[in-house]
Amino acid sequence: MGVTSRFRFIGKRVPRRDGVLKVTGAAKFAYDIEIPGMLYGRIFKSPYAHAIVDRIDKSEAERLGAVVITYEDVPKVLFNTRLVSVDEATYKDWEVLTKHPKYVGEPIAAVAARSEEVAQRALEALRVEFKEVFKPVLDPFEAMDPAAPKIHRKIVLANRWVDVVNNVGATLEYSEGDVDKAFRDADVVIERRFKTNRRYHLQLEPKVAVCKPEVGGSITVWTTTQSLHNTRILISQVFGIPMSKVNVVKTFLGGAFGSSIHTNLVTLIAVALCLKARRPVKIALTREDDILHDHVSYQMHFRIKAGARRDGRLVAGEFENVMDIGAHQIQAYPLLGTALGWFVSLYKWGSIRYVGKAVYTNKVPTCAFRGYGNPQVTWAVETVIDEVAEELNMDPLDFRLKNYRGLGDIFWGQGPTVKTVIKSDGVPELMRKGAELIGWYRRPKPWEQRGRFRRGIGLARGFHTSGAGGPISGEVIDYTGAILKVNEDGSIDYVTALQDHGGGTLDAHVKIIAEELGVPPEKINVVWSDTFTTVYDVCTHASRGVYVGGEGARRAAAKVKERILEYASRLLPKVVNPEALKMEYDEELDDVVIYVEGMPGEKVTLSEVARTAWQRNWGSISASVSYRATAAPPSFTVYFVEVEVDTETGIVRPVKVVAGADLGTVINPDLAAGQIHGGFAQGWSMAVLEDVVYDPESGEPLNKGLITDYKVPMAPDLPALDNFTVIFASTYEPTGPFGAKGIGEAAANPVAAAVANAIANALGIRFYELPITPEKVLEAIKERRG
Amino acid sequence: MRVRFKLNGEPVEVDVEPNELLINVLRERFGLTGTKYACGIGECGACTVLLDGEPVLSCLTLAADVDGHEVVTVEGLAKSGELTPVQRAFIEEGAVQCGYCIPGFVIMAESLLRENPEPTEAEIRDYIRGNLCRCTGYVNIVKAVKRASKYFKLAPPGS
Amino acid sequence: MASRVRPSPINTMNTHIIPVRFEYFAPKTLNEAVDLLSRFRGRAKVLAGGTDLVVQMKVGRVRPEYVVSIRWLRELDFIDTREDGLHIGALTKLRRIEKSDVIRRGFIALYEAAKAMGGVQVRCMGTVGGNLCNASPAADTAPPLMVYEARVKAVSTRGEREIPITKFFKGPGKSALEPDEILTEVMIPYQPANTGSAFLKVARTSMDLAKVNVAAAINVREGVVRWARIALGAVAPTPIRALKAEAYLAGKELGEDVIARAAEIAASETRPITDVRSTAWYRREVSKVLVKDALRIAYGRAVRG
Repeated sequence: MGVTSRFRFIGKRVPRRDGVLKVTGAAKFAYDIEIPGMLYGRIFKSPYAHAIVDRIDKSEAERLGAVVITYEDVPKVLFNTRLVSVDEATYKDWEVLTKHPKYVGEPIAAVAARSEEVAQRALEALRVEFKEVFKPVLDPFEAMDPAAPKIHRKIVLANRWVDVVNNVGATLEYSEGDVDKAFRDADVVIERRFKTNRRYHLQLEPKVAVCKPEVGGSITVWTTTQSLHNTRILISQVFGIPMSKVNVVKTFLGGAFGSSIHTNLVTLIAVALCLKARRPVKIALTREDDILHDHVSYQMHFRIKAGARRDGRLVAGEFENVMDIGAHQIQAYPLLGTALGWFVSLYKWGSIRYVGKAVYTNKVPTCAFRGYGNPQVTWAVETVIDEVAEELNMDPLDFRLKNYRGLGDIFWGQGPTVKTVIKSDGVPELMRKGAELIGWYRRPKPWEQRGRFRRGIGLARGFHTSGAGGPISGEVIDYTGAILKVNEDGSIDYVTALQDHGGGTLDAHVKIIAEELGVPPEKINVVWSDTFTTVYDVCTHASRGVYVGGEGARRAAAKVKERILEYASRLLPKVVNPEALKMEYDEELDDVVIYVEGMPGEKVTLSEVARTAWQRNWGSISASVSYRATAAPPSFTVYFVEVEVDTETGIVRPVKVVAGADLGTVINPDLAAGQIHGGFAQGWSMAVLEDVVYDPESGEPLNKGLITDYKVPMAPDLPALDNFTVIFASTYEPTGPFGAKGIGEAAANPVAAAVANAIANALGIRFYELPITPEKVLEAIKERRG
Repeated sequence: MRVRFKLNGEPVEVDVEPNELLINVLRERFGLTGTKYACGIGECGACTVLLDGEPVLSCLTLAADVDGHEVVTVEGLAKSGELTPVQRAFIEEGAVQCGYCIPGFVIMAESLLRENPEPTEAEIRDYIRGNLCRCTGYVNIVKAVKRASKYFKLAPPGS
Repeated sequence: MASRVRPSPINTMNTHIIPVRFEYFAPKTLNEAVDLLSRFRGRAKVLAGGTDLVVQMKVGRVRPEYVVSIRWLRELDFIDTREDGLHIGALTKLRRIEKSDVIRRGFIALYEAAKAMGGVQVRCMGTVGGNLCNASPAADTAPPLMVYEARVKAVSTRGEREIPITKFFKGPGKSALEPDEILTEVMIPYQPANTGSAFLKVARTSMDLAKVNVAAAINVREGVVRWARIALGAVAPTPIRALKAEAYLAGKELGEDVIARAAEIAASETRPITDVRSTAWYRREVSKVLVKDALRIAYGRAVRG
């Protein structure tokens, strides 16, 4: 981390700003918002996976004093809950409440009453009669059968109707080069099919929304969201309320991991109830509501074919991607392109051919989950890459270094519409150091191991984009906004709509501003903001918080700095050009000094400048910036994982982890490491544990919504402290703020792949379906023994 | 029914229904929203409070059952605004991310260190296995408990 | 096309609250408690630690009219060593069991089982009586108590009776208790010298219900097994004893072949199902492994004393 040492604030360990609030229980999450006189809402969820409602008798519920709304009381408009893509790339197939539920849990009606208990009683008093109950379609390949029941007949794209044929919601095909010839010329061809799991985010805070009517017809909304502004736009569009009358207020967010990039349905339902009741309404989902509400990961079925020459060069790649998207599209169509982007940007395949299909099923709708399809694609690709290397008799590490897309190569960022050139790349460094730390070259050979417990070491590498920006506009909206004010005493207010989910994004912004201005972080106030008082930021997703948001903040600081220097020069009459001035924090004065290098007398402090600008009517020192990044560079990660397999129970235990991350300049070292720790835990869990399994008859999740049967790792299930090493590459990203890139998703993307490769190294058996449960492992071991 | 108990050191009285849960009484009647709902069925530990000094799940505890007993929530740990060693250590080790699970972990760490001031790493992990964190992979949380244990050694609580 | 699936009960679940209303009683004595139960005849539920009953009420599976909270009935919270054996009050917390030296030294499988349950919070709430009355096929305290041949005492206004633990479980969620009875204590006979025991569990995570749990107790003289007892959980509608495997082991020297054969027999006595936690096949396979491991550990403890 030599590069970061030239910074004054960046790279230093500073206690996070919201830490005290969080350890004392004072931090207010949306779940904690209480408004005097508010009503408690409950949602009537479809008890069937696919049905048509005949009628709803709400009289008994209303007799209990509840306000009731059904699909008849909400705007008749189809929408997509996610507004990150441009209109031309946004399929709309969803309603606030529906007469035609398409998964168990889809909202049909809602009630609000003076207490949760009364609301619950009112909910149970609703008489909902169903006209038809269809057999659910739960498998995407069965769904594509022309004889399968139709989940949607028509949906909307860019305000025109499109027919849905055979439940395929969207498709994308792409090719480059002569793939067939390339495969013919290949010396080694490996073709495999993969199936990923359907993972529930299990963010600790279930989704919640509070909506309050204000005098004058506006509404205020507090909700679990990764995007204040998109939530506001969607509410405005669905309910026809001008945006100037919708204010979405920031709250602490109890985790999201992609589950609130889209506006959760609960938000729209709370608004609908509030508009009807004309009173504040809060709907806090229970855990069992949340697991059936509107978010699980994309479940993907792949076919991957890779061709390589004997010299160790990849020459062809074929990728078929059938995504089981559940009952509605959130970002399924854009993912068809992005999944291809992940595939193409991992390796230099030579010629490529791709077909992607997003297929509707009667299950909970799918959305991004830390990596937006990248962990899924990386798991499959890194498995195939290992197999090709084995076939070529090459070290998998060398094979990767030879073929990966790195420095100077073209990178696809978020799909075929955005291509950039890679300008920073720590992969070779991380591979070298990681191999050494894990003992890569001493790793066991599966056929040499005896005994009950077998060890294996796996390697996988991957990346994530930093944001979804780029030189041309493309199909994704990605820009940020920042407002910075130097107050009349020289302290600073930073105003942003960008959400911090806990990664410490806003702490990073503060350090970036501090670095730019020389003002210590303690003097910078992050304003608790809302949509009325901030400029647009698209969303905290795509690992863009630091790279895009941080650069927006830096640019605001740079603008402010220009004004500060100009004002300072008015107070230093000898200075002819303000650019000659420098700013630096002086600990003794506890102020920022603005001075001319080499001329000790020529100086003034920031507080003097700020005060003078006020007293002499020069005007405020402030800046408002809207910033679009010109690139979406990859943050690379390399994982080495050692596992131990109990061959009698099939249980796999993590023994050791070496995680290498190239995130450019590291702004918050302990929080960046925290991203990697959490990324490992989630990836480990993806590899061996998690899946939402549906009852084939009813289409209801077998765990009945209870996390008794949706397990994730607890503290004893993960490696000991001494066996978890994080290393950072010493890279500098020229397009990022002070050289920084993103980390949130890269931290997780290759983990499942590394675990799977470690299991293969231990047993000599590969698994093509996630999760790799003890049941599957034991079965495979027994099968091999015959 | 009338329930009297000691809450964060102060005697309190409140009328509750028999089916009311301690978590909701704490949050809605006393505004102590540091105690979090996250699963409702005893799987995640986010609602942990100390009942007569022992960690229990307030989402599975009837408010009526705490009549005559003593409850401490996360808000009751830091006396007069001073953070406890555990709270300090959590901040210093970067153990806090989204923060939603943190009150539960803080309570558990306090409880562990009172029982066992010098726990091994395995003992720490085992003690907090009923607490779910989805952000941190528990790494910095375990580090924080170890660090807090050092603080405890330097200045045991009540000293 | 039309399907006759049953509607999911999701709209009647609410884990924020207890959505049912009931009358609450907190009797001060056991006598008061059994009086109440006798009066309410099956319309009441006994609340001990709450970790099971409260969940059941939240998800709408149980809707009692009366709740009799015995949480603070101190008279049922004890661990006593008496002449005829160890007596554990039904309201003794799992956490106290786990911390008891007497249990750890004399009944280590019970210690291991208590420690394997839930998290610390659940063990600070949950009681040994509650765990048994819940009658889950996966109840972790059941297999150790079965291999120790424990008996439980049930009290009602009609008097008290003793039930061998092996006769206590009747099916998932069903015990031998009558609706007006309260389980008051568990009695475990002292194990003769040269007895070793062990408990093992396989689950998805460290905070989980068992896919399979196993306890074994074994009495050894001069290298020969005088008797062995094996109990398994989560592999049948109730926790079971593997009686055939036990019979096979009696009088044998415990070599690896014998252990393997006993495990095979024990597994053949299971009737596991496939559910969201595991498969029937896996449960049976892992039953063998756990029986083998538990026998080895128990034997080692018996021999080393």
